[in-house]
Amino acid sequence: MARFFAGKGVQYALVLLFAVTLNFLLPRMMPGSPLVFLVGEDVGFMSADQRAQLIHAFGLDQPLWRQYVIYLAGLARADLGHSFQQGRPVLEIILGRVGWTVLLVGISLLLATLIGITWGTAAAWRRGRRLDLGSLGAAMLLESMPSFWLAMIFIAVFAAGLRWFPVFGAMTPGAGLRGWPQMVNVAWHLTLPLATLTIITIPGMFLIMRYSMLSVLGEQYIATARSKGLAERGVMFRHAMRNALLPVATVFMLNLGYVVSGATVVETVFSYPGVGRLLFEAVLARDYPVLQGTFFVLTVSVITANIGADLLYPLIDPRVRHAR
Amino acid sequence: MRVGGVGTLGLTLLVVLVASGILAPWIAPYPPDETTGAPFTPPSRMHLLGTNDVGQDILSELIFGVRISLTIGFLAAILAISIGTLAGVVAGYFSGWVDATLMRLVDIVLVVPFLPLMILLAAYLGPSFWNIILVIGALVWARPARVIRAQVLSLRRLDFVDAAVALGASSGRLLLRHILPGVLSLALAQFILAASNAILIEASLSFLGLGDPTAKSWGSTLYYAQARSAFLSGAWKWWVLPPGLLITAAVLGFAFTGFALEEVLNPRLRR
Repeated sequence: MARFFAGKGVQYALVLLFAVTLNFLLPRMMPGSPLVFLVGEDVGFMSADQRAQLIHAFGLDQPLWRQYVIYLAGLARADLGHSFQQGRPVLEIILGRVGWTVLLVGISLLLATLIGITWGTAAAWRRGRRLDLGSLGAAMLLESMPSFWLAMIFIAVFAAGLRWFPVFGAMTPGAGLRGWPQMVNVAWHLTLPLATLTIITIPGMFLIMRYSMLSVLGEQYIATARSKGLAERGVMFRHAMRNALLPVATVFMLNLGYVVSGATVVETVFSYPGVGRLLFEAVLARDYPVLQGTFFVLTVSVITANIGADLLYPLIDPRVRHAR
Repeated sequence: MRVGGVGTLGLTLLVVLVASGILAPWIAPYPPDETTGAPFTPPSRMHLLGTNDVGQDILSELIFGVRISLTIGFLAAILAISIGTLAGVVAGYFSGWVDATLMRLVDIVLVVPFLPLMILLAAYLGPSFWNIILVIGALVWARPARVIRAQVLSLRRLDFVDAAVALGASSGRLLLRHILPGVLSLALAQFILAASNAILIEASLSFLGLGDPTAKSWGSTLYYAQARSAFLSGAWKWWVLPPGLLITAAVLGFAFTGFALEEVLNPRLRR
């Protein structure tokens, strides 16, 4: 078990190293002065003295490996640089946004998993029949739709057309709501982005659950349970579904990168003030430090979630718990 | 619908799309980049899908958009499959540290949140036709590489490979004459799935404003529709709905074809 974690640990460390090194190299490998990417276009209007000062401050006159050490030391102090546009530390900006993304991604992952698992179980149980084939087709159709397009259609129909939901934002600005009314307001704004993100996440969960169920249904203990005369429903949920869930737990975490990507476009369309929308705003403003900081923070969150899943996994799978 | 039906449907979608892309100059009613009507005209006999904010014919824009979207998807998938096949064959054949290194790399690419990474790369490289292809290809190769490696591992255990080794065949000859032909059909199926993936990613990147500004794909059309808030007026029915349906049709076309091909080519999936 320790070995299992050591292997995984190396894996996550490598992912982190990849993200950090990429962030370090990108501004320095582009043609032209790296200062343009680190400080902004204003560099062009500075005097030679000012520029030399900045080059020294960023350590750009040092050999590349020293620059890397300086960069890593900065990261260790949680220094992600300063935004061109807002002049504030990048980390501060991201922390101000992260709550909204956690809310959106967290709830939609939960919903999509519950729906996907139930749907996948039901489809596998009726393998090859109309419900199963129809579900497969529907899942493939949902997977093929661009998420941002689905979001736009939802806004056009449910927000602009029927006026059931707000068009953009996470809460009504300047309404001065507190307590319960504020929560209702937040939930009201959350509904459409949440629905979009959940709908595009369900097919992945459904396909895995269906596949996992199909392989479990071929096992002998299912036949045994049936021959004992247990009710079909009991066999389906108590015997088959519980065992089929194990691989789904792993994929749940692997899907996180996918859901975070989905959140980026969904937040963009709904102007939802999360980290994904921040990424889009940074692209528009060519705010490179914010772009890099956001990418870094998203990568760290995905890794953290993966580690969390590895720690939780033994709790749900006794085989891993006892294999020492 | 059985596998054959799904495959036929997928292929039909693809053939229709490719044909309209090739025939675009003849079947599009107007040049896509010229003002041929009043801005925001609803669909009429003059403009079947209406016009956009600067009075360009949307139907013509979409017909010409087939070329951009499919070409980028196609080329990015070719790049991804070339890298993926090379990595998969090399990793599966040589095993040992080469295999371990390559598979570590695959795992890294699969864990990193792909869209933020692509956005970062595209923002640095600048929006252009070739940069988009490069960025997509550089990240989509990982999954095919893993699938192809597995195939190579099972091929290596077969008798005819042992026989070739016993006859003194060199590594190069073994790879080219015996291993590569064995993975080509699998690579084809993976290519088609990668293409459907690439079209969806290209649409997302273009929608986020990272597409080639000189060549309008379906994603770019939606970017302009979003920037001009088309979904707040009735214009969404002819400006937002059609490009999204086209993207879905193209992705489904590739996905269905790839799905059917995989069922046919991979005996382990057959029952």
